Amino acid sequence: MGYGKSDSYRVATTQDKDDRSPKKKKGATKDMDDLKKEVPITEHKMSVEEVCRKFQTDLVQGLTNAKAAEFLLRDGPNALTPPPTTPEWVKFCRQLFGGFSILLWTGAILCFLAYAIQAATEDEPAGDNLYLGIVLTAVVVITGCFSYFQEAKSSKIMESFKNMVPQQALVIREGEKVQINAEEVVAGDLIEVKGGDRIPADIRVTSAHGCKVDNSSLTGESEPQSRSPDCTHDNPLETRNVAFFSTNCVEGTARGIVICTGDRTVMGRIATLTSGLETGKTPIAVEIEHFIHIITGVAVFLGVTFFILAIILGYTWLEAVIFLIGIIVANVPEGLLATVTVCLTLTAKRMAKKNCLVKNLEAVETLGSTSTICSDKTGTLTQNRMTVAHMWFDNQIHEADTTEDQSGAAFDKSSVTWLSLSRVAALCNRAQFKAGQDSVSILKRDVAGDASESALLKCIELSCGSVRMMRDKNKKVAEIPFNSTNKYQLSVHETEDPNDNRYLLVMKGAPERILDRCSTIMLQGKEQPMDEEMKEAFQNAYMELGGLGERVLGFCHLLLPEDQYPKGFAFDTDDVNFQTDNLCFVGLMSMIDPPRAAVPDAVGKCRSAGIKVIMVTGDHPITAKAIAKGVGIISEGNETVEDIAARLNIPVSQVNPRDAKACVIHGSDLKDLSQDQMDDILRNHTEIVFARTSPQQKLIIVEGCQRLGAIVAVTGDGVNDSPALKKADIGVAMGISGSDVSKQAADMILLDDNFASIVTGVEEGRLIFDNLKKSIAYTLTSNIPEITPFLFFIIVNIPLPLGTITILCIDLGTDMVPAISLAYEAAESDIMKRQPRNPSRDKLVNERLISIAYGQIGMIQALGGFFSYFVILAENGFLPSQLVGIRLNWDDRSLNDLEDSYGQQWTYEQRKIVEFTCHTAFFVSIVVVQWADLIICKTRRNSVFQQGMKNKILIFGLFEETALAAFLSYCPGMDVALRMYPLKPTWWFCAFPYSFLIFVYDEARKLILRRNPGGWVEKETYY
Amino acid sequence: MAKDGEKSDWKEFLWNPRTREFLGRTASSWGLIFLFYLIFYTCLAGMFALTMYVMLQTLDEHRPTWQDRLSTPGLVIRPRADDTFEIVYTKEDTESWDLYAQTLDKFLQPYNDSLQAQKNHECAPDKYFIQEDSGEVKNNPKRSCQFNRTVLQSCSGIDDRYYGYREGQPCIIIKLNRVIGLLPGKDNQAPYVTCAAKKYRVGKDQWKDDADKIGELIYFPPNGTINSMYFPYYGKKAQVNYSQPLVAVKFLNITHNEDVNIECKINAENIPVGGERDKFAGRVSFKLRINSKN
Repeated sequence: MGYGKSDSYRVATTQDKDDRSPKKKKGATKDMDDLKKEVPITEHKMSVEEVCRKFQTDLVQGLTNAKAAEFLLRDGPNALTPPPTTPEWVKFCRQLFGGFSILLWTGAILCFLAYAIQAATEDEPAGDNLYLGIVLTAVVVITGCFSYFQEAKSSKIMESFKNMVPQQALVIREGEKVQINAEEVVAGDLIEVKGGDRIPADIRVTSAHGCKVDNSSLTGESEPQSRSPDCTHDNPLETRNVAFFSTNCVEGTARGIVICTGDRTVMGRIATLTSGLETGKTPIAVEIEHFIHIITGVAVFLGVTFFILAIILGYTWLEAVIFLIGIIVANVPEGLLATVTVCLTLTAKRMAKKNCLVKNLEAVETLGSTSTICSDKTGTLTQNRMTVAHMWFDNQIHEADTTEDQSGAAFDKSSVTWLSLSRVAALCNRAQFKAGQDSVSILKRDVAGDASESALLKCIELSCGSVRMMRDKNKKVAEIPFNSTNKYQLSVHETEDPNDNRYLLVMKGAPERILDRCSTIMLQGKEQPMDEEMKEAFQNAYMELGGLGERVLGFCHLLLPEDQYPKGFAFDTDDVNFQTDNLCFVGLMSMIDPPRAAVPDAVGKCRSAGIKVIMVTGDHPITAKAIAKGVGIISEGNETVEDIAARLNIPVSQVNPRDAKACVIHGSDLKDLSQDQMDDILRNHTEIVFARTSPQQKLIIVEGCQRLGAIVAVTGDGVNDSPALKKADIGVAMGISGSDVSKQAADMILLDDNFASIVTGVEEGRLIFDNLKKSIAYTLTSNIPEITPFLFFIIVNIPLPLGTITILCIDLGTDMVPAISLAYEAAESDIMKRQPRNPSRDKLVNERLISIAYGQIGMIQALGGFFSYFVILAENGFLPSQLVGIRLNWDDRSLNDLEDSYGQQWTYEQRKIVEFTCHTAFFVSIVVVQWADLIICKTRRNSVFQQGMKNKILIFGLFEETALAAFLSYCPGMDVALRMYPLKPTWWFCAFPYSFLIFVYDEARKLILRRNPGGWVEKETYY
Repeated sequence: MAKDGEKSDWKEFLWNPRTREFLGRTASSWGLIFLFYLIFYTCLAGMFALTMYVMLQTLDEHRPTWQDRLSTPGLVIRPRADDTFEIVYTKEDTESWDLYAQTLDKFLQPYNDSLQAQKNHECAPDKYFIQEDSGEVKNNPKRSCQFNRTVLQSCSGIDDRYYGYREGQPCIIIKLNRVIGLLPGKDNQAPYVTCAAKKYRVGKDQWKDDADKIGELIYFPPNGTINSMYFPYYGKKAQVNYSQPLVAVKFLNITHNEDVNIECKINAENIPVGGERDKFAGRVSFKLRINSKN
């Protein structure tokens, strides 16, 4: 703890995942296993000369051009192999032949077959089957194209993230510095990097000047790490003399020899591991597949049954085939998959507006089913911006304002001690604002310099005004920058008062080191000797702040006596020729990367929505725990095993782990856990924090949660998160701070990097799941009035009440807009107050939905349609009693004097017109009963009177379907084009009683359902 | 292992002895859902029956609500050829036309003079035989006019038992479909049937007819007239013994051994010409081919 977090980060690269997950699929090749193993870099342990020899390079001259070309040929370009993508035509074919398409293709082929048979046997074959075949083909192709373009559109989003500018690298070849494309860098190249550059490959550092690299995307550490030529650790990831591909050099310069390029780099291995991970289907895809199975099953069962029945009843093969086509067409909700796609697209758009960009349409719903969120800390839960949180001076801890909008508490700024403290903090500080940001609010300004110095700079700028002015007034005379041996930084300045010729020495650093150098302490502006009491107060404050997970810095100063250090004294910083002890201690300042303002609220919402939030971070346990407590991942009053032990003053081993709801697990402990222990932890602790975890461990945590049946969302921004992002049911990457690899691996991107946006995603996901249920219930209902006419036609030999063309008009015409409009339906109750759905029990389409749609509402609808049918035939002279068994004569083309119930005689064409008028009326009746169906489908539990009719799209849908039906019936030419005929106005009203019945019946059902929660009605009909 | 698990899962789904569940439901659960659907569907059936009953009450007993689809009555020929609308036979081959003669015999049976005299009324010719109800008092049953078989003369099958088929001079009988309340012809100008060669397409924009082959025609009753007294028709309930008027056409010297396409149509001022699509509204076309061995 303390300044310059020197203990390096331990990436558990030695973690061999295979001992731990034996269930790994056999598909995982040896390569994949290899990728999960230790990074095979040894160059850091070799001397520079050995490295040179290994790569046949020279430390001064670099590679020869010939050698470079040879290596380039051998190793290939220095670039990550893009993850394998499915060719576009495969994607297109998947859309063309997936889902219901197979069934419809069967229908279309049967149509063509029937037509071919007719054409071969008859002189003047009726074109009906040919047209129907063409229409079915068109339907499949059009819906396929539609889905394909929707998918393509959302996957195009990614392209905007691709880094279009080719990267350059400065290499030394044959002794000359040349700028080359980073892709042409080869192993053995001598490379120079400077602050601001991106490291072009894995480099063994040979010389460095104040070089610091930002490894955050690789290891999750937000603190820049310094690089030097010395090997400091056996682990290549921890040693200082290796810099990694695609990390950034923050400051300083370095020179090094490239040891790995492209996919062989550490980053490349993680990326390859990520793209090699197999991911399961999204929950909604599973649901849709389940639903397609049900519908296909019903269609095939009915089709085959009636095919056989037709043969038994003595129909010809051709007729039986035509019946089969009719049953298939009636059974398949042709427009439904397009509707689902549109609903998902609409939600994706709505989420994009709220800063959740969805890459994969189906992922829209996944967040809604999510039961566990594994969140990265840095940048997601926190602002990824060190901020001064507390100060200790005048023997008192003061709280600084860390909120994003500076709405927090302010402290007393009048104390003289504070002025001194702020002066030290401002002067002993190398950070400065980048130019041209005067209009930007202070907290958002870019700073050149170290994270903690920036935090101090912003804090002082906020509370005391311009730091630059202060620095101008107190000219810097000498400076000793921070180094890890001193653990302090000091500078000497002139004083503000021009008459005062003394020099001011300011120093900051690790508190205990600073304290050692102090003999006095400033209290209420007065210097007082540092006594034991004060030392204890200091220790308490230091412990307290450290316990909050904050990084604490100590500050001291001294006005150098003029007699010893007169004006113009030459301060020598290399061979320190001035006093650096017996200083005056001023205070402590502590910094933390504070949680984002909206996060605690968002975590609370997740909690109430039954979602377990787990923190998985690379940071230290103490910091992680402090942030977890701050944002509510560990809620107030919940203790870890260690807390209980500390409270009861007993050893940790004596505490019953069951008593602790929360736990903080260190990465190194995680390594030693068996799978059962892991399951045990995940199952029995509601509030878990994993600290110091490696990419592989993140993957293990995600797999552990999935093993327990949870649907897991992972948030993260670094490359180290990307395997977990990919493995998760839904990976959420950060749009601003996220690395490209993580964005590639994720399904969703939070454009504002804000965890709170996830809550929006959950809400939208749950809403769309509910609304899809409604939409499917609505669409499936009309299947019954579409199938029953065929069945009655076959069994009781009545004239066909509803034709295939009219069925398509319903499925692809009038039902579409209303079904889509249900996606705009508002939630019935607070969907964020209920538990996430159980994917094994709570299905999108369950037997209750089928029971309602097919068994109840659908039956009422069918009766409504049949009623209109009987009305029209009866009013034209064919009474119901005569109809049964009339089919054979009715469909006989040569019978042109068929007698009706009144004794009138009809030609074939005349009665066919009546039949097609019946089709039209049946169609219109379905539209009429679908009005009521749409209104009852708005809600699953509430009354429509509670829900209201606020959905404007839905109202539009009602009018649209009616207008479309009227158009199809009355537009001149429809009799030729679709064989639909104008209806007498009274025929529109035939289905009204049934429409009304549907409404009343369902309102009654929902009333009982609400009155008797958990009762029979709910168990049998609540879908 | 996994497969076994799946299998036992299935078995357990089918019959779970522990919970006594069949297909995931206990007996009482099945019973309840069956009872629910029984009641539900009974109620629905009741509702349907009710609406049907109400609808049937609104219907008139003697005249359908709408007749707009029958504005052009259909024309039908006898003997009725099968799906092909062809009458093809060989003069010398008795069996090839015997069926036609038999059909006509059977068809003309109810028109026997004796039967007609027994059942039907002898009406005043050349004017509509109107039998209005007087207000609420229904004038039922309504009487029908006699149509005697003898009117068809040589096509009546009385003198020539084979309707001219044996001589290669076949008779075709044409009838106009019954439409309730139809009064064809204006100002008592009776409708009549004419037959002529039918124009048919032989190539693109090339039309042809068999006018040169059709030869001489003779109509019974004369001029193919359908007397006005057979109209209007009052429906089969009110006018039980209605005899549909007929027109016979005899082809006297039709060209043998060749297809002859013939179209007959009804001529009456107030019967609109049927639509393009319906080939049997107000007209009828058929193919006549008489093969002869000499």
